[in-house]
Amino acid sequence: MGKPKAVVNREVCLACGGCVSVCPEDAIMLVAGKAVVDKKGCISCGICVKTCPVAAISFEEVTK
Amino acid sequence: MRYDVVVVGSGPAGSVTARFAAERGAKVLIVERRSEVGVPVLCAEGISKKVDSYNLVEGTKWKAASMAGARIFSPDRTMVRLSAELAGAETGYVLNREFFDKELARGALKAGAKLLVNTLATGLITDGGRIKGVRIKRFGEEFDVEADIVVGADGVESRVGKWAGINTTLKPHDLETCAQYTLSNVDFEEGYSDFYLGKQIAPGGYVWVFPKGKDVANVGIGVLASLSKPGEAKRLLDEFIASHPDLKDGEPLRFLAGAVPVAKPIEATRDNLVLVGDAARQVDPITGGGLMASIEAGKVAGETIGKAVELQRFDKELLSEYEERLRQTLYRKFERNYVVKETMLGFDDKTLNMLADSLKDYNFEELSTLSLIKALVSKHPSLLPKLKPLLKAR
Repeated sequence: MGKPKAVVNREVCLACGGCVSVCPEDAIMLVAGKAVVDKKGCISCGICVKTCPVAAISFEEVTK
Repeated sequence: MRYDVVVVGSGPAGSVTARFAAERGAKVLIVERRSEVGVPVLCAEGISKKVDSYNLVEGTKWKAASMAGARIFSPDRTMVRLSAELAGAETGYVLNREFFDKELARGALKAGAKLLVNTLATGLITDGGRIKGVRIKRFGEEFDVEADIVVGADGVESRVGKWAGINTTLKPHDLETCAQYTLSNVDFEEGYSDFYLGKQIAPGGYVWVFPKGKDVANVGIGVLASLSKPGEAKRLLDEFIASHPDLKDGEPLRFLAGAVPVAKPIEATRDNLVLVGDAARQVDPITGGGLMASIEAGKVAGETIGKAVELQRFDKELLSEYEERLRQTLYRKFERNYVVKETMLGFDDKTLNMLADSLKDYNFEELSTLSLIKALVSKHPSLLPKLKPLLKAR
């Protein structure tokens, strides 16, 4: 089990770009109109989760 | 493909920069990742009437409503009324951004610029560390666009600045996370943009009601990301609307989420590179308004780029004339307003109520720093120490 990583619910995301601009690791991008988290880059800081205006980002346990 | 200038992003900052560069003879390409200029709208759509003096848009479709002024409500709903001139860069017109952006883009194209929609910039092309264009992807195919200058007008989530090694990451303290409905079936005082302040209403931000026409208004919220929780912006906005007698029966025509930098402007030039608009954090840190700033900065950026192309000089020294010119105008105001933002963040609801109570009968037509301070402290002397940082900022 790794640390929980941020994951975007694509059905909720409205692509405002807030999470992209606050991610300290530059690990979120807008791809085809939705935010996408690069799990390798994610340090589980939670800034994007708190920032999202519509609660589209949450932590998900990743199994390895 | 080879151009003098490639602009990434067709929002106001990109189109205005492209227009002024093209007017000076530069060969300009704008690339837009979306399939339509101005859509989706990610904005409260307020702008100062100063925009008229730039003569950049024609027709009337871009304008939804004209504002006489602003009404600011403190947490206990004490109201301070300001004329549009005093209310600042966001009060004047309420726009239809989908038309406004197209008008600005049309102006750039008329000046000779080219535009590709459905076109994603995927990275910079460099040669020995020197920027020499952007890689683009459209309809599944990748191309190189060579250019002497790359302009990043790619918004709050700017990639172009990052590619060039500029730290564009915003601290949560410097970002407003936003949500907005365009509501029909609402009531408002015609000609007034409303702002509601308060820690319970919108921590570190405010709720706005911008009338767009007959019983339609943009009703939105900005919450400082450092004070936010998951989904906070939408949740607080829903609560506000449900509790407001003039808004609670509103039906949404549109919902949007947004993100607005409320930071100090960052480094906006490198050799062969220019950032403009939200990408350069050219936003008023108090109001979060960036439309007028994007236009003002875009004009200066475009003129400087035009000069660079004439002189065939693309080094930072020349390009930073753009930032130098803004330092005398726009940036001076932003630096000052950043201090105001910091000071206001320290105000509790009681302080905001006292401020509004002091100002509600103040005659803003006779505005002077001295008379303003007199008005503020004569009713509530305890405000004086709280306002001290603002006096230093002048």
